Amino acid sequence: MTSLSSRVAARRVGSGLFFVAMLVVALLVLLPIVIIVFTAFKPVAEVNAFPPSLVPGDWTLDNFTRIFTELPFARLILNSFVFAGGVTLCALVFDSLAAYALARMDFRGSRVLLVIIVASLMIPFQATLIPIYQLVAEFGWVNTFWGLIIPRAADAFGIFFLRQFFLSLPRDLDNAARIDGASEFRIFRSIVLPNAVPALLTLGIYTFVNNWNDLLWPLVFTTKQEMGTITSGLTLLTGPSGIVPYGVMMAGSLIAVVPLAVMFLFVQRRFIESVASTGLK
Amino acid sequence: MTAPTASRPRYRPPAQLGGRGPIRGRAKRRLQIAAFLAPALAILALFVFWPMLSALRLSFTDASGFGREQYIGLENYVEVFTDPDIVRSMGNTLLYAVLFAPAAIVLALLLAMAINSPRLPLRGVFRTWLFLPFIVSLAVAAFAWQYLLDPQVGLLNYWLQVFGVRIGNVLQDPVLAMPTVALVAVWKSFPFYMIVFLAGLQEIPSSLYEAAKMDGAGPWSRFRNVTLPLLGNTTGFVVIIATIAALQAFDQIYVMTGGGPYKSTQTVVMQIYQSGFKDLDLGFASALSYVLLVATLVLSLVQFFITSRREKDAS
Amino acid sequence: MKKLLASAALLSVAALALSACSADSGSPSGDGPVELTFWHGYTEADGDVLQGIVDDFNASHDDVEITTEVKTWAVIDDTLLTALTADEGPDIVAMPGERLPVYASKGAFADLTDFYADPDSNTAELNPQAVEMETVVGTPYGVPTGFVPLAVYYNKALFASAGVTEFPTTWDEWVAAAKQLTVDENGDGTPEQYGMVLPDHATVANGVWPSLFYGNGGDIVADGTDAVIDSPENAETLEYWSKAVADDKISPTGVDGVGADELFSSGKVAMTIGGPWMASIATENDIDYGIAAIPAGPVDQAASAIGVSMAITAQADDAKVAAAKEFFSYFFEPEVATAWSLGSGWPPLRTDIPAADVESNPTVAALTAISDTSRALLPGVVNSSDVLTEVDVVTQKALAGGDVPELLGEAQTAIQAALDDQ
Repeated sequence: MTSLSSRVAARRVGSGLFFVAMLVVALLVLLPIVIIVFTAFKPVAEVNAFPPSLVPGDWTLDNFTRIFTELPFARLILNSFVFAGGVTLCALVFDSLAAYALARMDFRGSRVLLVIIVASLMIPFQATLIPIYQLVAEFGWVNTFWGLIIPRAADAFGIFFLRQFFLSLPRDLDNAARIDGASEFRIFRSIVLPNAVPALLTLGIYTFVNNWNDLLWPLVFTTKQEMGTITSGLTLLTGPSGIVPYGVMMAGSLIAVVPLAVMFLFVQRRFIESVASTGLK
Repeated sequence: MTAPTASRPRYRPPAQLGGRGPIRGRAKRRLQIAAFLAPALAILALFVFWPMLSALRLSFTDASGFGREQYIGLENYVEVFTDPDIVRSMGNTLLYAVLFAPAAIVLALLLAMAINSPRLPLRGVFRTWLFLPFIVSLAVAAFAWQYLLDPQVGLLNYWLQVFGVRIGNVLQDPVLAMPTVALVAVWKSFPFYMIVFLAGLQEIPSSLYEAAKMDGAGPWSRFRNVTLPLLGNTTGFVVIIATIAALQAFDQIYVMTGGGPYKSTQTVVMQIYQSGFKDLDLGFASALSYVLLVATLVLSLVQFFITSRREKDAS
Repeated sequence: MKKLLASAALLSVAALALSACSADSGSPSGDGPVELTFWHGYTEADGDVLQGIVDDFNASHDDVEITTEVKTWAVIDDTLLTALTADEGPDIVAMPGERLPVYASKGAFADLTDFYADPDSNTAELNPQAVEMETVVGTPYGVPTGFVPLAVYYNKALFASAGVTEFPTTWDEWVAAAKQLTVDENGDGTPEQYGMVLPDHATVANGVWPSLFYGNGGDIVADGTDAVIDSPENAETLEYWSKAVADDKISPTGVDGVGADELFSSGKVAMTIGGPWMASIATENDIDYGIAAIPAGPVDQAASAIGVSMAITAQADDAKVAAAKEFFSYFFEPEVATAWSLGSGWPPLRTDIPAADVESNPTVAALTAISDTSRALLPGVVNSSDVLTEVDVVTQKALAGGDVPELLGEAQTAIQAALDDQ
């Protein structure tokens, strides 16, 4: 056997081991998710039964029908989309503008401004919730989408995240464009943004998921059921004394997770594409 | 190509062309900067900074939220540092941060490199799989973990029974509860950090790795001399975000242990919630929040200086 | 970017349209009925019954229109403060009884002294323990909507197979029965089936340990201001039960109230201490159950009550307060009170409703029979949630083998500090 082919073989074994190791990690990570999925199809008595089982013995769709019959499901899902989608779109636009200024338009005080913005992440939201609410109420936005969306239309987290990413983009391109007389907005729009697609997608999915799953925010800002989100709506199925109908909760979250998972599948493909097409490598 | 480190040369705007004077040009530039910042800053000013100032004012009062309030000076702040429960919750929070942040960051970086490696088959599938914990809501995830870990009716105990092994009641054990909660938090949080690292890794030009290889650098040396320094901005972001998340631990503890057993998982933000929303003592909750803010800020700045010095040493 | 803007525009149009169709015209006007918002946490069948009562009230009272908003109890507690700070909250709110004092003490609720004094308010016949729950430093701030003693729910099939025929009436009998019902088939020291489940923290309505303390003549707080948890009676109680759990293994350890309900549902334990909803949970899980009073302790037979109160919030103006009082009086009319009892599955709040009137609901009948043993939990204690946290610490540590007198001493100090701080 030549040394070359043995090296190739070693590489192959290495790759195989790598793959197997990743498979084990991924399965461990997935186990709680598998429990969620299977529980959604279990009848009530089986969720609490002993001995416990991973796979339902008796598959049922009852949990799903309960959600559709006991909650204004379509309205809640629609609200979730408008709320999470609205926040995400606004935040992407406003955060990227601000991040561009902070990362690529050097000005005096930019570092101080950044520290202030990042510091605002360090106060727990429990401390500012009531003043925010009073402001929203002042504007008459309780029980409206404005109240849900506008306070989150820009956020320190997104600005910080995008600023770090924009910093890493090479400056050669925009300097060249500047010499050609391109305006800042043009540079932002046609050079920086297209190159930052992975970052924008990452932030977009982060913002969308967090708002979609947020419980307290919609509960506080909407008191009417028809303005709630699917996540806040599901709490209504909690029984007295905090007894949670787990099957229904899992079914509800499964329905909620599907759009997110599909979205991520799409996004992660764009990841590879966008990086391949930017010509940055 | 410039290496994206903190020590990049400062950008100087090119001289304006045509007949415009430098003064007008500078004013115009200021206006431009303002235009980029304005929408975001307007929203932050109204819904972030103003509420923060409001909370700062409340921290010097005995406000309950219903109108009657009196200025009581530093009383709330004194209580923060003298109430044994609060002091203990600070210790718990630090313990949680130590258990959570390094584990989550290292795991995220390792897995990001793994799913970025061309040698891994089915990369796209792995990426989606490993990202899933981030998408499920915490309440649901907590249920799944309890279903696994419950000492009486949990799956893990039932499965291990075959081998004669029993895991104890980890969530009700004063020593093990915090590590267990931190484990669940790592599971829930690493995917996002991983994706951030992945985005950062994808920015590193592969030509740099080829060059390092040509110079005879091994995998460790390539990681140390190419990956880490070029990932500086990303790592800085992840470290700060993970630190903030760790010091604000609330959700997972609220749903999994409620602060027990014997307050061993009671964190600062759990205390803030308890004071503000259970005891209706907004003044005290605000004061504690500001103490937390300052502590987080100090910790972050220390980390920032350490990492930026290391970057300088590396480059 | 263009796509982004386009979708943003689309979304905002959708948002506008959706907001518009849910915006209501609810502006207060001189004429027309007084509009009241009522938040409550009755999410099950009881919610439908309550809605029926509200509808009947609205129909029979032209000058008042009550709109209900259903949330879980936990959500009400998490959002009420925020909503009230901007006068966007409810005018009437129902909440767990032990949460009323803290809101009342901060000025969130209207004083109801005059209401109770009014002979037309129908409050004279209310269960005095339930009214006690509404009182903070001598002033009533709410009315009860539910008051039910904790009871033992037991699995009849497990009782039959263990040969236990009589339900125990004293602690010693209770422990003996639990021992008989505990099964450790493989002899590994960890039973496969437990006689009972004795949660050691976050118990159902926080009432399991108070009930046991009462049984031996002990208590936690006296007069809403003095900690009395450190007593020889309570020490005996804790030692008695931790010995039973440690030596006789009659209960799993480290369980909370919700966990206890789940263990009972899984058929792993034969007895649990619970609220009326255990009846429907047992039925859902195909368990043939019985209901019995918590067996008598050496000194007393008493059970902590699960209480729900409703109150008028400070944001309600005089007209709304008057309208809300009108609703409260209506709620306590004998027929309405009976209908509410049968529909909610909780005993009647009035003491003068004959047992025969509630016979049609066996759960209500069983609970009504034992309702004179019920006691309000920490009445008038403002910082009740801090006090209950300390009780949890004691019971958890005691059941894990801690030194009982020392634990009670520490709890005494901590609870007194919480009471002094209110």
